[in-house]
Amino acid sequence: MIEVEELTKRYGSFTAVRSLSFCVRPGEVLGLVGPNGAGKTSTLRCLAGIIPASAGRVRIAGYDLSVDPVAAKRALAFFPDEPRLFDYLTVRQHLAFVARIYGVARYEDLARPLLEELELVEKADILPGELSRGMKQKLVIACGLLHSPSVIFFDEPLTGLDPLGIRRMKDSIMRRARDGAAIVLSSHLLHLLEEVCTHVLILKRGDKVADGTIAEVAAQFSNGQAGVSLEEVFIRATGGSET
Amino acid sequence: MIGALLYLRLTSLRNLVVYRIRRLREPKYLIGTAVAIAYFYFVLLQRPGMRGVPAQSAAPPLASAGIVGMAVICVGLSALALVRIAFAWIAPAEKPALRFSEAEIAFLFPAPVTRKTLIHFRLLSSQFAILFTSVLMAFFFNRFRYLGGNRALRAVGWWVILSAFDLHLNGTNLTLSRLREKGSGFLPWRAGVVAAIVLYALAVAWSAVAYASAFPPGGFSSASATDLFIKGLLRSSPLRWLILPFRVAFGPYFAVGIREFALAMIPALCLLALHYYWVSNTEASFEEGSIALAEKRAAAKAAAQKGESPKVGPSKPKARSGPFTLSPQGPPEIAFLWKNLLSMRSSLLNRRTVLVTLWVVFCLSIGLRPLLASQARSSGFDIYGPVVVMFCAMLAAYTLLLGPQVARQDLRNDLPNADILKTYPLEGWRLALGELLAPTAILTFLLWISILVSAVAIDSRGTLRWLTPGLRVTVALCMGSAAPFLCFIQLIVPNSIMVLMPGWYQASRSRGGGIEMFGQRLIFGVAQLLMALLVAAPAACAAGLIIFSSQWLLGVGPAVAIASAAVLAILAGEAAVGLWWLGWRFEKFDLSNEIR
Repeated sequence: MIEVEELTKRYGSFTAVRSLSFCVRPGEVLGLVGPNGAGKTSTLRCLAGIIPASAGRVRIAGYDLSVDPVAAKRALAFFPDEPRLFDYLTVRQHLAFVARIYGVARYEDLARPLLEELELVEKADILPGELSRGMKQKLVIACGLLHSPSVIFFDEPLTGLDPLGIRRMKDSIMRRARDGAAIVLSSHLLHLLEEVCTHVLILKRGDKVADGTIAEVAAQFSNGQAGVSLEEVFIRATGGSET
Repeated sequence: MIGALLYLRLTSLRNLVVYRIRRLREPKYLIGTAVAIAYFYFVLLQRPGMRGVPAQSAAPPLASAGIVGMAVICVGLSALALVRIAFAWIAPAEKPALRFSEAEIAFLFPAPVTRKTLIHFRLLSSQFAILFTSVLMAFFFNRFRYLGGNRALRAVGWWVILSAFDLHLNGTNLTLSRLREKGSGFLPWRAGVVAAIVLYALAVAWSAVAYASAFPPGGFSSASATDLFIKGLLRSSPLRWLILPFRVAFGPYFAVGIREFALAMIPALCLLALHYYWVSNTEASFEEGSIALAEKRAAAKAAAQKGESPKVGPSKPKARSGPFTLSPQGPPEIAFLWKNLLSMRSSLLNRRTVLVTLWVVFCLSIGLRPLLASQARSSGFDIYGPVVVMFCAMLAAYTLLLGPQVARQDLRNDLPNADILKTYPLEGWRLALGELLAPTAILTFLLWISILVSAVAIDSRGTLRWLTPGLRVTVALCMGSAAPFLCFIQLIVPNSIMVLMPGWYQASRSRGGGIEMFGQRLIFGVAQLLMALLVAAPAACAAGLIIFSSQWLLGVGPAVAIASAAVLAILAGEAAVGLWWLGWRFEKFDLSNEIR
């Protein structure tokens, strides 16, 4: 469960996110969309505890992120758009490292099916430098899922993946949601959101423009027209331009 | 075409200067520039004892020290050049290359220009760097008044030396490329050239030794005799003919008057012309190698700009087993120690460097023993102990002051992964502690070696009779127990600078040079030194007071032990405060905001 109340993020005099409130329940997938510079990444980074919020409250799995960040972070996983890995740890060593950080006892039992699912078994003893971008992305996912998080954040999850990788990623996101995870994903790929998300939140210049199920948001901007695509909704909601 | 290339170079240079001046509006660059200018003014431009004296209008004759200094410079540079050239023949690059940037390759390689024009462009480009370096070297060496000479003539002298070396290396690369293209005879040619270089070096050494052995014993007793020796050596046959190419290249640099300089320039220019002919008329493929080199340099630059560690180890790291088995349960700090020890390979201060250094120190100490023993027999004073202790003290000082800049297996190396680290369920101080453990262990190990060797080697006879074996062990144990705390605190400093001023830190890591970067690095160095003094002062004062006041009652040994306990308490307190602050600051740290 993710609860956000009046979240604000300021960089000096510039406000990236203004008084943002929403809630993501277990099993829901919220798509965060908006033009470049709308505040999507700042929002995600505040929710994952990477950067401190300037104001407002974020609760992850019932824990206030500013009061008990350690407990809150224990329940979440964050997947950045660019896979960030340690150059000198092999695939297997990455999992061992993450297991120790999160205190995952008998992690080998969990790691094996994860590696099999992500087709990393044969790459277990090689360094990230020898992995393709897609493989690196898979390793990041394996590390993030090792501690069975109940809250998951994805920042542009499909970047750099091949068609098969995209299909698998979508399936993986939906499976985690079915298993009860609360998921937020940020992406420019509106067809991904239409396929995967149960809810959508549109941001523009740090403000929430729309929030609700895809049907609700579509209805809000359809002007009475039937079968309006999410792309059309997005253009109407954001005025069709960057910030 | 050369006009267009000259336009490209000059316009790029002008735009670079304008860009650098414009960015002085940012305090980090302005302060860095101010500090660097102050440094250059006081270190390079001010000659001790020369205040108010105009730049040398008439060149003074070389003093004895000048002749020795010149000889040292000449021999040192010649030896370096010879080694570098030999290395080029021993281990040639897979694809010999001329240095071009990626943009130059993209624009010039497909352009309708001849390969000779590309070579000219390369030579022209290197001239900008050579001219700048020549001026800098002339100013730097001008500080040493005893070297004599005129600053402007010296700059031209440096230009001749550096240009000849640059041309020679380019010629070597192209020749190697040509030989590789021909296929047959590549290995025999290389073996032949390397053998020739070795024979040449042996011949030079043999001639010098033969002349020196004929010199009367005690001939170096006076400065004028030393002068005489060096001058005679340079004029002796066959050495004077053997070192002719170097004498020609160094001729303008050695010249102390206008006339002598002009005469020296004639053969020097001929040497440069010969090299130019060699480079511009060697038909060899360099394109592929140049593209690979440009890509490599661009990747390194991009990595540095992103804050990633410059790769000093092998370009392709190999997977290794961990330094110990990491169980999934237990303090998470140990996971960072494990991870960072695994990454030691990428650091200058890696396991191999440490072991090689220790091996060299060990061999030196074994080799020095008989040498210094003979000296002790003749003088009656054994300096083996003091020499070893002095080396150990130097190693310890370098470890404490420079070690934290070199051992970077901590938050600094993990800066690109800061976002990931911050999602870990750990308090800031625990994360910082984990990150600092590996470099602390490495530096502490070096300090312990220094302390141990000093304790064993120190000669406690004579004036140091009070340093009994018991007291020696006590002092060594006390110093050893303080070592990890000192290293830890020293490591907190650069990591604090990184999280406090990431923009500064990031800028100082980028490979782009510039006077402002130099100034910033200077500021960091001074900050490290000041912090070391500030941290050590309370502990040192407490130790001094305790030892002074209690040794009369308890004896030196117990006094040192009690003082050590106080020192440890103070250092531990300082380390705890520093760690807490570093962790707190890391929690608040937002790289995307800080380096805007």
